[in-house]
Amino acid sequence: MTVAENLYENLRLELRRGCLGLAVLAQLRQEHYGYTLRKALAERGLAIDESTLYPLLRRLESQGLLASEWREEDKRNKRFYRLSSDGEQILAQLLQEWNEINTAIDKINNSGNL
Amino acid sequence: MDRLERYLQSVKKYLPWQRQDDILAELRANLESQLEDNEAEIGRPLTDAEIETWLKQFGPPMQVAARYAPQQYLIGPNIFPTYWYILRMACFWVLVVYSIANAIQIAVANSTWNAVAHAIFFIPSVLVMTAGWVTLVFAVLEYVLANYPQKWPELTSWIDRLPSKVPDIEMDFASGKKPRSYPMAVAGVVFSVLFLIWLLLVPKHPVLMFGPGAQYMNDSPFLLAPVWYQFYWWIVALNVVQLAWRCIDLLRGAWQHPNRAEQIVSKALGLVPILLVLFVPDHVYVMLKNSGADMAHYGATATVINQAIHTSTLIVCAIVTIQLLWEIGRTIWEVSRKRAAAM
Repeated sequence: MTVAENLYENLRLELRRGCLGLAVLAQLRQEHYGYTLRKALAERGLAIDESTLYPLLRRLESQGLLASEWREEDKRNKRFYRLSSDGEQILAQLLQEWNEINTAIDKINNSGNL
Repeated sequence: MDRLERYLQSVKKYLPWQRQDDILAELRANLESQLEDNEAEIGRPLTDAEIETWLKQFGPPMQVAARYAPQQYLIGPNIFPTYWYILRMACFWVLVVYSIANAIQIAVANSTWNAVAHAIFFIPSVLVMTAGWVTLVFAVLEYVLANYPQKWPELTSWIDRLPSKVPDIEMDFASGKKPRSYPMAVAGVVFSVLFLIWLLLVPKHPVLMFGPGAQYMNDSPFLLAPVWYQFYWWIVALNVVQLAWRCIDLLRGAWQHPNRAEQIVSKALGLVPILLVLFVPDHVYVMLKNSGADMAHYGATATVINQAIHTSTLIVCAIVTIQLLWEIGRTIWEVSRKRAAAM
């Protein structure tokens, strides 16, 4: 990997890191366990490594943004996650912030092209 | 399945023990679901080799487990700038104190070169030890701030305030003078310390100043007059004062531009030992060891040497006096110019 590629990769990961939490919170308005959540995100265009996603779920739960419960499904115990009431509030704020950033970046990008 | 189970057992070894069963159960459920999906996709069970390849993609057990651990810092980004500042200051001051203490000990105890070499080679150990202690203290602070931020709120504000004083805006920026950098200021102090060490070693080891001439002086019929001993201690005292000033400037964060008053006082004090030598009674700078026996042979030479030293001292005294008057004049002119500009 060249220096430029390495730099790009680092910046890309940094950019993604902030977005993943938001994507997970948004997707968990509907209940999922780890594997189906990963599949749902990938189907919508956001592939996440298992080794990133599963610890992230734990962290978001410990921060009170997600609620979880163990339940049997297909003869197997699984831990299902969904957005908590605190998580809903935070998600709304984060989405607003996300939209503002998105709009600002669009404006900056377009003004740069003029 | 056996390979998956072995993989999970490996991950378990590195998980935080309080939550390892819970995390492992969840991980097992997710991986088994994924494995079933993969097998359904290809319409047959995965071979051992395929399972191994798939698990390798998932990551080494230690790294997978590490992602479940809370983020931990020995010294986190919040207090790192303060830590770095304190570490540099501590190492610098320990080096200064260590150098002075060893120089005095070597000078007083009439130590050999081995003692000097030992003192120098021990410097890295002293610095590593200092860095270790500072790091330990800040690691404890980091732990306390991360785990009990409400218990000691004053600790956070104290760390945020360090260094306690920002340096004043220096007036000489206007004159376009390049401010002295911190490494230059530190180098100034280090060289002052080294010079002082060298100076303190000279009485016991004259060869450091006179080289091979030290032996000649020992064998010669001439003897240095007592005024040179007074001169020597004046020079030592002056260097100690200058070193102290430089250290204080560093501590105050005022190293960028040396204080004009300090420069004037330094030059004025530097004039004292020169005047001391200049006005020595009868201009006697060297004497004969055995005046009775050697007077006939070396009396005239001693007189020439004394006259030459007196003339040289007179010239040096004139130069230093002119420099001092120039400094005073320039300072008065700058002060009056600033006053006029302020009016």
